[in-house]
Amino acid sequence: MVMACRVINKRRHMGLQQLSSFAGTGRTFLGPLKSSKFIIDAECHESVLISSTVRLLESLDLTSAVGQLLNEAVQAQNNTYKTGTSTLLFLVGAWSSAAEECLHLGVPISLIVSAMSEGLTSCIEEVVSLQVPIHNVFDHIDSTKTFSGLETFSGSLCPFLQIPSDTGLQKEHDLKDVASPSLTIYNLSGIPVKSPKLFRPQAEVEADKNTLQNPQTLKNSLLTGNHYRKSILIHSRHFNRMDNNQWINKPDGFLEQHGAASPHTYRCNDLVELEMGLSHGDHNSMKLVDEAVRLQYQNASMRQGSCTMPFRFDVSRLFTCCLPGVPETFSCVCPGFVTVVSISNSALIRELQNQPLRIILIEGDLTEYYRHLGFNKATNINTVLESMKVQDSSEELWTNYVLQVLIKFNVNLVLVQGNVSEHLIEKCIHNKRLVLGAVNSSVMQAFAEASGAVQVTYITQVNETCVGSGVYVTFWRSIPSDVMDRINIITIVIKIEGINLVTVVLTSPVTAQMQSKEDRFWTCASRLYYALKEQQVFLGGGAVEFLCLSHLQILAEQSLSKRNHVCSGWLHNTSSWLASSLALYRSTVLKCLANGWHKYLSTLVYNTANCSSEFEASTFIQQHLQNATDSGSPSSYILNEYSKLNSGIFNSGISNKLEQIPSIYDVVIPKIEAWRRALDLVLLVLQTDSEIITGLGHTRLNSQETEGFLFL
Amino acid sequence: MSRLEAKKPSLCKSEPLTSERVRATLCVLKGILTSSYGPSGRLKQVHNGLGGCVCTTSHSSALLSNLPVTHPILKILTTSMQNHVSCFSDCGLFTAILCCNLIENLQRTGLTPTTVIKLNQQLLHLCTSYLKSESCGCRILVDFSRPQTLLCLVRSIVTSKPASMLTREETDHISALVLRAFLLTIPDNAKDHLILGKSIIVPSKGQRVLDSSVFPGILLEMSEVQLMKILPIKKSDAFKVALFCASLSGDLSDTGEGTVVVSSRVSLENAALEQLLNLGRQLVSDHVDLVMCQKVIHPSLKQFLSMHRVIAVDRVGVALMEPLSKVTGTPPIGSLGSISPSSYGRVKDLCPAKFGFKHFLHLIPNEATICSLLLCSRNDTAWDELKLTCQTALHALQLTIKEPSVLLGGGCTETHLAAYIRHKICNEPESILKDDGCTETELQLITEAFCSALESVAGSLEHDGGEVLTDMKYGHFWSTQAESPSVVNWPDLLSRCGCGLYNSQEELHWSFLKTTRHPFAPQTCLPHEEATGSANNLTLDCFTAKLSGLQVAVETANLILDLSYIIEDKN
Repeated sequence: MVMACRVINKRRHMGLQQLSSFAGTGRTFLGPLKSSKFIIDAECHESVLISSTVRLLESLDLTSAVGQLLNEAVQAQNNTYKTGTSTLLFLVGAWSSAAEECLHLGVPISLIVSAMSEGLTSCIEEVVSLQVPIHNVFDHIDSTKTFSGLETFSGSLCPFLQIPSDTGLQKEHDLKDVASPSLTIYNLSGIPVKSPKLFRPQAEVEADKNTLQNPQTLKNSLLTGNHYRKSILIHSRHFNRMDNNQWINKPDGFLEQHGAASPHTYRCNDLVELEMGLSHGDHNSMKLVDEAVRLQYQNASMRQGSCTMPFRFDVSRLFTCCLPGVPETFSCVCPGFVTVVSISNSALIRELQNQPLRIILIEGDLTEYYRHLGFNKATNINTVLESMKVQDSSEELWTNYVLQVLIKFNVNLVLVQGNVSEHLIEKCIHNKRLVLGAVNSSVMQAFAEASGAVQVTYITQVNETCVGSGVYVTFWRSIPSDVMDRINIITIVIKIEGINLVTVVLTSPVTAQMQSKEDRFWTCASRLYYALKEQQVFLGGGAVEFLCLSHLQILAEQSLSKRNHVCSGWLHNTSSWLASSLALYRSTVLKCLANGWHKYLSTLVYNTANCSSEFEASTFIQQHLQNATDSGSPSSYILNEYSKLNSGIFNSGISNKLEQIPSIYDVVIPKIEAWRRALDLVLLVLQTDSEIITGLGHTRLNSQETEGFLFL
Repeated sequence: MSRLEAKKPSLCKSEPLTSERVRATLCVLKGILTSSYGPSGRLKQVHNGLGGCVCTTSHSSALLSNLPVTHPILKILTTSMQNHVSCFSDCGLFTAILCCNLIENLQRTGLTPTTVIKLNQQLLHLCTSYLKSESCGCRILVDFSRPQTLLCLVRSIVTSKPASMLTREETDHISALVLRAFLLTIPDNAKDHLILGKSIIVPSKGQRVLDSSVFPGILLEMSEVQLMKILPIKKSDAFKVALFCASLSGDLSDTGEGTVVVSSRVSLENAALEQLLNLGRQLVSDHVDLVMCQKVIHPSLKQFLSMHRVIAVDRVGVALMEPLSKVTGTPPIGSLGSISPSSYGRVKDLCPAKFGFKHFLHLIPNEATICSLLLCSRNDTAWDELKLTCQTALHALQLTIKEPSVLLGGGCTETHLAAYIRHKICNEPESILKDDGCTETELQLITEAFCSALESVAGSLEHDGGEVLTDMKYGHFWSTQAESPSVVNWPDLLSRCGCGLYNSQEELHWSFLKTTRHPFAPQTCLPHEEATGSANNLTLDCFTAKLSGLQVAVETANLILDLSYIIEDKN
């Protein structure tokens, strides 16, 4: 075995460069307007449609060490929080360029590390001022107001996008359920949009008003975009249409609250407002989340009765059922367990519906040879037959035994977490028993709680105490049968009184979009989950990042003038010369770090198509930055800008109702953790000076690559 | 038909150290090690180049075990360093760098190996006896009534590995936790024998470092579903525990060689299960509350036990068996045969716990020296490094309780020791030369080689092009930025010495470490009480580990220098 070792940090830092180039690929995913990408495999010509950072990294070749670390960081963020990965990826890129810039300026590596992590810590402390507490959002949940503004969704195709008759454009596009290929954001500049945030050139306001009054223009421009793009554009956090009050019915008092003079009285005590703020433009998904929360809430209050335990939104009791090929408008939320079964079950379902069923839950596979984990089969045992009597095959015997058990305990429904023997399924259909395999573990758990069934591993374990009862199976017919017949599946719903399980049925006419639709739903769900869990949110729409930027600028200025800072990290108790010379370099490093935020904000503004070029976006941010610095207190500047927006300064002429632009919110911990993870990764790579390849890996290096390697 | 092949002759190389290739590879190895040394050391990405996991580290144990070196000389070196690390955890890089430096310097003297080795041994003896002596100027006695010294030791170890990515606040938090975890392993009523317990590190990746914490007892990780099944736990004063290391999965793993023939009417599986259920019946009739098994428990047995309100926890894993047996006070049961009532243990309380996304069953002992250190970090790489560092720190604390001294860190011990030896050899060379056949010149050469090897270990702490100096009074280590003007006001440019004990304002004289200076007797007045009281943030090293590292480095260097032939079997 030979070891290869490569110095990766001679003049240019290869690791940092790799990081910024990887991160560059995800630039367009930043912000609420995500342009989808097609990834095409050049060899087998397969392609995938992706619209999120995680899926992008899954499809990229990240076998290099740095790529793997990047993937590890993004996966960790995604697995923990399901949100913030685009921010993470972008900041990794921005800050690795920043670190490289520092290296060019001759700042010692240890000082870059120290000053950058100190700078970010300071930012995180600073943005606390932009936190909005959440208060008792469930107090008013019973009021008629829902996310869509309507109680039911069955009446219209998509009430969420329902629009007063004078526009008439939404229905048009709802019916058009074909997603045209994603267009870039540039050709959408004529759409009536309006940024609820500070980052919006004033000149466009007038133009927007004009276009809005002309439905024909609207229709044309909207129809060129794809379905997803449209729904996002209409109400994104950066990109907002004016006439939006038909979607949010504000409680009376709300305007007063935000219109009030003091900007520091931000608080959120309305669920719809919170959801709207956290949707980041993805209203379709958030609407489903809203319905799911409401169902869970109703469920919880029914189960608890008089007992007043605070309600917790439980993401683990949400289940998604994807139906590709069904128009998008049929996405909905439904209590119980909705699943797809093969068409051969329809007669059986018809037989079983409308009667309470007894249920058993099997944790493992339901096959003859399945044994629990950790069971080692002895290989040297031969079984001999003693008589020549003709017997059924052992599979037949086993299947009959299972059936006998089901009959004995009068069980008509079996949910199995693993696989089920095909033969058994057929046999059971004939005997009026429904067996479903590959059932999600949280679904199993929900049924165990509600029906009193106890999960078992083997059918032999079944006894009276393991059997649950009171379960109902029926066809799920919320989607017109002609649509379902077309895709040749049947959907059923399994329900039981008081079950704490909500199925979110996600539909998409385009199979390629199914995955991203599911991803987006979970992103929205976890944003709301973390917001409710932490009981606070950030003011969103770039406000926190803007505050970080201006805060770092101020810090950089200050550290030029006074040099008596305390050091952070290991430097604080070391006597190395680095500690004393940190003051010399701090301002440089902080400026580079701030540049990262600047890039982030410019890209955000540019991505939301408020600006025609990145340069324009950048100067735009620069302007606001100047204003904020001049005002003396960036955080009050931001809060002021917010209250101006919310007090209705964009009161438009076309509607005589007062405009209310909803607040945009961001989750706190996931966001901060994404920042930290990004900086950690950059600093880790920055401090790495060589790559050691162990084992035989070096033999794969081709002759060009071996240059620069040392062998031991 | 068998074919015989003539054996290839063995390959014999003489004077292996003189070969260019050996020197080059030794130089690369030294480069890797020195660049990783210290709190500002550079990290290494270790991976297999085939998409395996990437380990970013500067920890000696991770580096050494991952360097599959080919040359026998390098193998001797890495193996002996790994031995040191496995015994002492700490000071691995110090040992390896010192060894490389010694080989390089001593070889340059051109003296015969015999002379070199003899004198080297003498110098080593001089070092160890000085370090152990009362008059030693770089050793601090640990006062266990004041945790500050121990905390400094832990913090020095924790901060020495930048890949754990800790901020200042996090460093303080982790250091305090490690110390607390260690204190929990000390028995309350120690008699003559002090038997330390164990701190178990429980991973919780993806969480914030500040969420880390320490618990007395053991945290058994289990899935939420599993935990829901055993809840609610009935209240009791003490829980009777049966701890199994034998598998209760009901398989027939030990059927031996050959083939077993059974009739189709006989089901071996059912027979095995029946045996398990009998065991279950006995456990129930013995009023056991908790059954834990290292391996798997058959689902039917689990079901049987839970029906009788007995909590069953399986797949505990071999690592937890020893602590579990300590906590419950019973050796694990290894067979399914008859179980005597004396083989049950006890725990005080059981409670469910949730940290981050993981669910645990928390076993609280009556009085046991077992604790769990829940270690959180937001990324895997940083977690791995943090775990290694915490283990090192815990080990260093254990070594310190046996030998209650610590050495000054930050390079000060090395430079101080070098100054002491230079002075000693200059003033009393006869003490070493008296019975050896060596000349004074030879002694001078070897001393210079030895001392500069020590000093350049200290110099390896500098990675950003700074200058390293030593003062002429205490012989401590100082650093400053490069290209300082030739006439400088040193007291203003320097702040504190490497370990943090002295500051630059007390009328000292400095000299660059690389330049020759007149030997001086380093001051030995170490104000023990004040030192630990005044400077709260001393950088300290584990005494036992460093002393052993010094010995291992010199002995290994001697061994390698003594090699005259390498005989390789080429077959």
